[in-house]
Amino acid sequence: MIAPGKPAFVYVTYIRTTREKLWQALIEPEFTRQYWAGTWQESEWKAGAPWRIMIPDGRVADSGEIIEIEPPRRLVLTWRNEFKPELRREGYSRLTYQLETQGDMVKLTLTHEIDWPESKFIEAVSSGWPAIISSLKSLLETGESLEATRRWPAGA
Amino acid sequence: MSKPSFVYVIYIASTPEKVFAALTDTDMSRRYWDGNQVESDWRVGSPFKLKREGRDVVGGAVLEVDPPHRLVYSFHSQHDGLDKEPPSRVTFTIERQKDQVKLIVTHDGFEPGSKALEAISRGWPLVLSSLKSFLEAGKVLHAPWYDQETRAAAGAVS
Repeated sequence: MIAPGKPAFVYVTYIRTTREKLWQALIEPEFTRQYWAGTWQESEWKAGAPWRIMIPDGRVADSGEIIEIEPPRRLVLTWRNEFKPELRREGYSRLTYQLETQGDMVKLTLTHEIDWPESKFIEAVSSGWPAIISSLKSLLETGESLEATRRWPAGA
Repeated sequence: MSKPSFVYVIYIASTPEKVFAALTDTDMSRRYWDGNQVESDWRVGSPFKLKREGRDVVGGAVLEVDPPHRLVYSFHSQHDGLDKEPPSRVTFTIERQKDQVKLIVTHDGFEPGSKALEAISRGWPLVLSSLKSFLEAGKVLHAPWYDQETRAAAGAVS
């Protein structure tokens, strides 16, 4: 549940795949590079472990810590932007992925929330997530991600 | 304070023409909309209906048509007492972005505490996920809970 009035972005999508494949695609570099702007994540993927997203030029995009991990059902982590000062100042957000099997598909619910009124960070991720998750769905269902999400944007 | 509404953005490897056609074609909609079909002649002022097995699940009217960029219709659910709420409004905005389409669905015009808003907030992510699968992979998605809801809406419960 999200506290009323707390800035949050929720996105639900349905993907014709299994939870195991979706889980793998959410965390493994060879998948994320294809649909998440060339980035990859580094973590030991256990509760309490640090977590970060790497930009292809070597910068860290975001970092945080794994809070809960229950493959292939649920992953919760803290997340702070590291490359845009106006977003970094808002501190740690919290991201939850929930994976649920429904027949021959998986319902993926992504919830990204933060304790920062009028959050610019939530505004930024609200425009980013639909593109990334749409591309992830294309990759798993057709074998090809969306072209626009395959590379880190020039100048970003 | 802003009125309650639902907004969903999805990117599809397709063209605006194909997305617009899928949103307005009776046969295509029946496939990706889990047995529900859109019916209209798509002229401003004409009736819009979402039907299932010959019965109305949603009624409304066409408010704006600008193929293949924009489509607006009023939306009045006919089931589960939702017909007592005032009609709401659905706006589809279709933007070409190189070899993909950005589809924005905005569903607004709800009263505070609207049950219809709860129902459409559950329904659109499934229907739009299925539309994307249909256009990209030629496959559609089915969810037993959605099938039950719209079957009940059409009065087809056995």
